[in-house]
Amino acid sequence: MLNFLPLDARHKLWRLATRILPVLAVCQLIPFTDAAEREPYDDRYCTTCHGTDGRGNEGIEAPRLAGMEDWYLRRQLENFRAGIRGYHPMDTAGIAMRPMAKLTDDSIADIVAWVGSWDYQPAEITIEGDVQSGELLYGVCATCHGMDAKGNAAMGAPALAGQNDWYLVTQLSNFVAGYRGRHEDDRYGQQMAAMVGTLTDESAIRDVVAYINSLETR
Amino acid sequence: MVNPVSRREFLNLLAATGGTAAALRAGTALNLLPGSASAASLDLLNLGSNQRKIAILGGGISGLTAAYELSKQGYDCTVLEASHRCGGRVMTLRHGDLIDEIGNRQYCEFDDEPHMYFNAGAARIPSTHRNLLAYCKELNVELEVFINENKTSFVQDDNMLGGRPIRNIDYTTNMRGFMAELMAKAMNSDELDAPFTESEAETLLSMIRSFGDLNENDLYSGSFRAGYAEGGFLKHGVQKDMIAFRDLLKSRLGRQMMGANEGDTGPILMQPVGGMDKIISGFLNHVGEQVKYRAMVTSVQVTDKGVNVAYDQDGVRHSLEVDYCFNCIPTHLMVGIDHNFPSDYVTAMKYVRRGEAYKAAFQAKRRFWEDLDIYGGISWSNTKSRQLWYPTHGIHKAKGIVLGAYDYGGGMYHTMMSQEERIEAHLADHEKIHPDFRELVEKPVTIGWHRMNHMLGCSARWSRNFGRGWTHEEETLYHTLQAPVNGRHYFIGDQISMHSAWQESAVMSAQWALSHMDAQVRAELA
Repeated sequence: MLNFLPLDARHKLWRLATRILPVLAVCQLIPFTDAAEREPYDDRYCTTCHGTDGRGNEGIEAPRLAGMEDWYLRRQLENFRAGIRGYHPMDTAGIAMRPMAKLTDDSIADIVAWVGSWDYQPAEITIEGDVQSGELLYGVCATCHGMDAKGNAAMGAPALAGQNDWYLVTQLSNFVAGYRGRHEDDRYGQQMAAMVGTLTDESAIRDVVAYINSLETR
Repeated sequence: MVNPVSRREFLNLLAATGGTAAALRAGTALNLLPGSASAASLDLLNLGSNQRKIAILGGGISGLTAAYELSKQGYDCTVLEASHRCGGRVMTLRHGDLIDEIGNRQYCEFDDEPHMYFNAGAARIPSTHRNLLAYCKELNVELEVFINENKTSFVQDDNMLGGRPIRNIDYTTNMRGFMAELMAKAMNSDELDAPFTESEAETLLSMIRSFGDLNENDLYSGSFRAGYAEGGFLKHGVQKDMIAFRDLLKSRLGRQMMGANEGDTGPILMQPVGGMDKIISGFLNHVGEQVKYRAMVTSVQVTDKGVNVAYDQDGVRHSLEVDYCFNCIPTHLMVGIDHNFPSDYVTAMKYVRRGEAYKAAFQAKRRFWEDLDIYGGISWSNTKSRQLWYPTHGIHKAKGIVLGAYDYGGGMYHTMMSQEERIEAHLADHEKIHPDFRELVEKPVTIGWHRMNHMLGCSARWSRNFGRGWTHEEETLYHTLQAPVNGRHYFIGDQISMHSAWQESAVMSAQWALSHMDAQVRAELA
């Protein structure tokens, strides 16, 4: 190649190429000519679905993020991103969440910090059930989630009190039906799936959620 | 022996199997909205020296209609738009545009030329949508005719003729011929009971013959209407071979082919020259300074005297106290925003389902369809991509933008895919129509409306039973949402219409609310 050129000219050309080629390669990746005028975007889009200050939106089945522990929120975002959660065809809301969690580690860290800055207000109560019956059923739950349902980081169990009750019902139903917590890489989910055996029907789920509703939040 | 069917029975049978009865029902469903005749007749009171503050939540076509009309009459309007752009689902994509689909952000890389655009949402304006057309006229939005049905475009179905694409004209000419032959046979039998006078029967028969281009024996034996196999100009044309009825019946695409010029797409269709969002910029020429972008509403509180609105912009929470509020935030998102709406209102907001429409487009490296006598129009296929639209605009220019998928009902199929999977699906689908489609196109864009930031859905779906229409309960819920809260807060947008997905519906919902508010203001000032 280029044998018609004298050797030192070829050498100069080669040195020039080694300097220019990486620059050209980068230019191809970044369309810098108009990158400056392009509309920017960021990943703080959570409140579109999760509502004002992340208080949840039943209209789009997006749960409350405000008040969620940072470690739990991070783990769930990572699980959605990895396909460990929202994988079952019957988990429609989980499937809807998965593409939203195509986030970098930096974005996840930013979102977790952002969510932590939101004003917290107790969730609206929408579920009715037998609180006394629910209290008995909650006994199993208390082992990990605490007597007051405020969660236990050491156990990896999030707070339940203060979450949208309709979301708790959906998730308990998903665990019971096997739509959540059966993925081989979802260690905590599997732990939870093993614990829902006492919730034998829909009314049991409603009762236990009604009991959680009766507990003080935060 | 087969029992002869009386002519009356035959007609009843036709009606029962989707003829007249279906037509009547469709007529009601597709009919123009009541009051569509009231184009540009909005007669709002000018405030004069009086002052009224207005908040408009969402800068889609309904919000901009409200801002434009009220500004003309001296109202102090603020439009809060959550995204970086106005228009909502009136979205035209051009070189460099951001497609803010959550989980699939894209920049449009089309060549930077005026005709290289794609109407990713609203794309057609029927000539009967006179309120919208009145604004086009008033705002100097230049219009051109949009070609929707094109007889030279293709029909392709793996189940029909071994998957070989045929021209629309071959499909429809032969289908009409066979249908006419069947009808003529029914009309010609002496045994049939006659519900018609002789003259009526003759008129009907002559129309049937004309409908299907039947021969002198009332039989269909092919037609020059499908074009020529060869010749036709300097030599006599040679008629194409008929396609067997049974072969055509292998495909169900006739539902699209035979209805292409009916209902909403019956009237002449138009589009603004240069993109549908020319309507949006037409409004913004007048009210652009009133729009706050990237302003997300966080609270709407209706009081006795007006409405208090809170919104986030640039990381700061702002508040706005107004006399009246017009809200076109999608109801499913409004559920998650703080509000003090009455409970029947909230029930109605939660009832409305999100539309799932999906569209995709490619830049064509050359206008290959024009080499095939295709200028505008739609090729239909029995694939998930369904439609391939050839641009009406930019005829004979070097390149063009083709619509590569439009699924209005079941868009989730593609929405659930990754960007790469979506593109591959469309390339594979359209290779069945244009074998070298993959090599002919580049720079794809896809839009899953179900995931577009700040919308999270295409047009609102009120009715859960698409085939049977609205239930009484659904109508009640609809009227609940249409009515203002405390006379101060109005929901608007095509979501507050019985005919969503059309700009005309959005315009008319805004006009309805404006007229309602106007009556109140007149009473206050009297």
